[in-house]
Amino acid sequence: MGEWKVALAKRKRTVFDMIDDYFEDMQKWAEHFGEIWTAETPSWNLRNCSIEPLREITVTPTEVLLTVDLPYTLKDSVKVKSIGASGLEVSAQMKKKVKLDDLGVKHCKGVLEKFHCHVRIPVQVDMGKMNVHYKKGILEIRLPRKH
Amino acid sequence: MLSEQVKIVERKKIPSGATLLFGFPDVGLVGVIAAAHLVDELGLTEVAYVESELLPPLIILHEGLPHSSIRIFADHNLLLAVSEVPIPADVIYPVMNRLIDWGKEKSVKMMISLSGLPMQDRQDAKELKSFAAVSSPEALKMAEDKGVEVLTEGYMVGPQAIMLQRAANSGTPALTLLAQCFFNYPDPEAAAEVLKALSKVIGLEVDVAKLSEKGEEIRLRARDVMKRTQEEMGKMKKGQEYDIPMYVS
Repeated sequence: MGEWKVALAKRKRTVFDMIDDYFEDMQKWAEHFGEIWTAETPSWNLRNCSIEPLREITVTPTEVLLTVDLPYTLKDSVKVKSIGASGLEVSAQMKKKVKLDDLGVKHCKGVLEKFHCHVRIPVQVDMGKMNVHYKKGILEIRLPRKH
Repeated sequence: MLSEQVKIVERKKIPSGATLLFGFPDVGLVGVIAAAHLVDELGLTEVAYVESELLPPLIILHEGLPHSSIRIFADHNLLLAVSEVPIPADVIYPVMNRLIDWGKEKSVKMMISLSGLPMQDRQDAKELKSFAAVSSPEALKMAEDKGVEVLTEGYMVGPQAIMLQRAANSGTPALTLLAQCFFNYPDPEAAAEVLKALSKVIGLEVDVAKLSEKGEEIRLRARDVMKRTQEEMGKMKKGQEYDIPMYVS
């Protein structure tokens, strides 16, 4: 291989390395800040006596399926409210108030009485055709996609 | 080797020739919930714990005293390794390798990990099934003889994958028992199912009624551990267990 070819190959490799490094840095940055924003806050909020439920969103070609884990709640107390075109507010009262102390949180006093969360829907959906189902403490919300 | 940086500190005499069980945070927290129930129900006592600078700087406070996040409980013929918090994806290998080596030093006769197998529309399931993934033809026959359906194809991701691979290499019989469960939500009902499968395999009598009675309370308490576990499962690409296998014979 001529000297210029070696130099070109070296240069090409360096450019790709730089691109790889760039994306790797971006990924690390996103993971780092993602963790700070989504995980490193308490799951409970004593101001409104609520705890944030676990939830999962699945986007299929035809619909968005959101499930929310609402153990220890009463079916009749579950409320789902649309917020604009792409948000949902979910809340549900617990069967009875739970002291933080009973959950093993000893460093502050307070009670939890409901689950509460806001969920952003990542694609356009028809909020008017929302279908809600609750079984075994799992709330299932189906939203047909708008195309 | 990284596993040399994982130390098992023995606090009491360790029984020899026991069955070594693993209950680590994973899908539906099936293994941890089942393990916690076994500790309570069988009155197992802490006999050893894991100490390593590879693990996050974390201790569990219980009755005012610090404990390692990975502990080993026992009675005369059972050893149970439990982690109360998810093991970071990048240290699962050294931790499992050390626990398995330690188990061999204690002449364990069998290793069994307790876990789950996520199913779609889990909330609509009327009953849950348990399966076994095994390390050897002998373990496969044993699972079948005991009436536990064996997973014959597919992928396993996580501590149980390492356990099965190491056991296959060393000749120690090993099984992973997996109950159908939620992927991302704590599932005490699945924990009860996996314990029923364990009872079939090793003839252990354990009452699982409390898991149903206190199911909702367990789900509420386990919420934060589940959230942390979701993060680690993402890092180890746990979703690969859903993939259609391309088996090369």
